[in-house]
Amino acid sequence: MQVLMIVLYVVCGLTAALAAYYTLRDLAADLVLLGAAALVLVVWVVLGLGLVMRDLGGGEVTDPVTLYGYLLTGVVLPIGGAWLGIWERTRWGSLAIGVVAVTLTVLAMRLEQIWPGGFA
Amino acid sequence: MSPHGPTGARASRSRGFTTVLVIVYGIFAISATARSLVQILRDFDAAPLAYSLSLLAAITYIAVTIALVRGRDGSRAALWLVVLELVGVVCVGTVSVLAPSLFPDDTVWSVYGIGYGFIPLLLPVVALTYLMRQRSR
Repeated sequence: MQVLMIVLYVVCGLTAALAAYYTLRDLAADLVLLGAAALVLVVWVVLGLGLVMRDLGGGEVTDPVTLYGYLLTGVVLPIGGAWLGIWERTRWGSLAIGVVAVTLTVLAMRLEQIWPGGFA
Repeated sequence: MSPHGPTGARASRSRGFTTVLVIVYGIFAISATARSLVQILRDFDAAPLAYSLSLLAAITYIAVTIALVRGRDGSRAALWLVVLELVGVVCVGTVSVLAPSLFPDDTVWSVYGIGYGFIPLLLPVVALTYLMRQRSR
């Protein structure tokens, strides 16, 4: 789980950096940036499924409502960001994806704060 | 993530910087709503004022998001809602600093949104500046 967390931070960080570059260079989101957003979603879903399986298996989660709220938010945001990136063909669509990547990083950090070590 | 390319027709629907405001307000709408609903449904009596204000903040974010998505750039509704938001975060922030005993638990707007990196304070200022500039064009 810890490895997945690190993968998530790296993917989110790279996506945010890429989005910042696109914004500064006045580029609209292309398949590379949209692919990065998709990758963020995939990693988040894998991580989320891992946490959910652990919750259903051991039931160690102290606050399941918050956990599922966080996980669902993390699924909705990359989709929303990519949606805006597809429709807004300016640098601001790219920045929207960057905002989502940064937000997911913060969400993941909060997850680790609330359940230290992903409640391992 | 379907491979839709850009087309000329879509370019005319461009919203520019409003897109960024929409995603940030959308994120705050989701997180503030989720947070306040959990707080209220779980234990409203623990901090009724704080939880009510969290819900008020959540509703404000939802309203601004909708106004930004639906209205044209610099719509009057969006402008007034953002002013309302700014007043809210400044008032709640000030009261939470002066009378912390009123807030046994934090709201989204406590201490000017310190729990959210002060973005709740910055956001309406940025949005207001942008919307005013759009209107004056």
